[in-house]
Amino acid sequence: MSQTVKYLSPQWRDEAEKRLKSELSPEKMNNITSSMSNIYNNCPDGKNRYLFFKFEDGNFAELSIGEGEPPKAEFRISGDYQVFAKISRAELGSQKALMTGRLKLKGNMIKALKLASIADRLNKVLSKIPAEY
Amino acid sequence: MTSRMENKGPYFIDFPARIKSIQAEMARQKIDVYLGSRLRTLSWTLDAFCPWRSFVVIPAGGMPAAFSFVIDAARIADETWIDDDRVFGFAPMGGQDQIELISDFIKEQLKGGRGRVGIESGMSNYLPEGWLTHYEYERYAAALDGCELVNAHTIVDALSIVKDQGTINRFREASRIVDVGHGAVFDAIKDGGWKGMTETEIAGIAALAMRREGSEWEWSFTGGNEIAAGYRTGLTGGACTPATRKKLEAGEPLMVDIHAMFMLGLGDHSHNYLLAPATDRQFWHAKNFTDIVALTLKTYRPGITPSRLADEMMAFAEERGFSDYMVPGFEHGIGMMGDEWRIGLNDGPFPYWTNPDHVYRENEVLICAMQYACQEDNIGFRYENPIVITKDGCEEMSKYPLGIEEVR
Repeated sequence: MSQTVKYLSPQWRDEAEKRLKSELSPEKMNNITSSMSNIYNNCPDGKNRYLFFKFEDGNFAELSIGEGEPPKAEFRISGDYQVFAKISRAELGSQKALMTGRLKLKGNMIKALKLASIADRLNKVLSKIPAEY
Repeated sequence: MTSRMENKGPYFIDFPARIKSIQAEMARQKIDVYLGSRLRTLSWTLDAFCPWRSFVVIPAGGMPAAFSFVIDAARIADETWIDDDRVFGFAPMGGQDQIELISDFIKEQLKGGRGRVGIESGMSNYLPEGWLTHYEYERYAAALDGCELVNAHTIVDALSIVKDQGTINRFREASRIVDVGHGAVFDAIKDGGWKGMTETEIAGIAALAMRREGSEWEWSFTGGNEIAAGYRTGLTGGACTPATRKKLEAGEPLMVDIHAMFMLGLGDHSHNYLLAPATDRQFWHAKNFTDIVALTLKTYRPGITPSRLADEMMAFAEERGFSDYMVPGFEHGIGMMGDEWRIGLNDGPFPYWTNPDHVYRENEVLICAMQYACQEDNIGFRYENPIVITKDGCEEMSKYPLGIEEVR
């Protein structure tokens, strides 16, 4: 895919799902069962959006984008749209964003530590989607 | 420290029942959530050793939640009886710092995020007590807007004074281990073995022997195993002797005060020696001390108070002519790891010190502790032994024979 899509648009979601399914095997996902909501505050149109991921036994199970309150997830990461955009463009590391308080994580830190490398793999796949922000 | 697996048989403690007893008292005092921060509270509720800053949040009903520095949270989760998903690590990350993480958790336990939150505020001579700091108090008060923070540590203090059988048995086992440590020290120093040794070496010999028996660590914050030789034994009022590199010398007294921990139960026994050749004056001091220790152990019983016991013992010392050398205190408090300060509740004339009129009851555990120091003779002795108050007396948990032997 060389055509750019708008970040967090339905087209971006479809492309993300396709890539996650093809590039992240259950083994690469350490056969985890977990869910995560990214909450994007202050999107360019002034709205707040969420991106919800769910994995079951390492298999990609759900990816949804929406406005308002996201589905209940094991982890909830919230921050400004621009911060997420910088992470997606590899201009900012997700760890640094968390450690400087630009992103907020809700969920059990002990499990989050176990899933940190998986989250990095997932972010790496998503960052390769040609997107306009 | 694998108490989750070992909390059975003689060492079993019913932790869910402890939590329910706290919750019942919380309800009586109209406290909606209890935020514990003291090491003693963490040990008593979680059955896990929490050496880093940690908190326990006890809701009005159900299982508590534990919070610790993230580097140690997984180990605590592995050892405590509470469910894995009730143990949280805090870290310097957005949403994960201890104030935000814990205050958010507390708010989730409260109707409308409002209510009365019990905290632990006070003072102690025991440095690692773990009171909520002034800074933490202010931060929690700000984060828990709409909540009233009330001092509630007496709830845990009152419930933990009288020990259950599991706790007493953990102390008995820790004391057995300490006795093995004393045996190892004696074997090492007898028949001239002490020559050339240092205090730190004695501490290490005891530590190795006790670790081999399963001791988790030499738990005392006073430097682990406290060893003193020569003039260091006789420092006035000196009941704290972390081992130094001082070499043992002929004609000196030697104080061996060692500590073992077993499932958060604490062993603490001090034994004393005279390194040959001992003088008549040294033997006189030694007999004074062993006699008053024996009498003290005979005197402990339900109904007696620290002040009455001190009066009786100091009268004995005065009659025998050695009261100048006795520190007029015969005990210190003890409980599961982190509880090493006053006896009983904070209800004495001086806040947060032992109430001299505390009345001992059956199954209270304390350290029978005495310090004898004659600085002009460069000699002193210490006795410590965890005792449990029985129906009509006390049981010495360390069985190492009382005595001050001359070691050649």
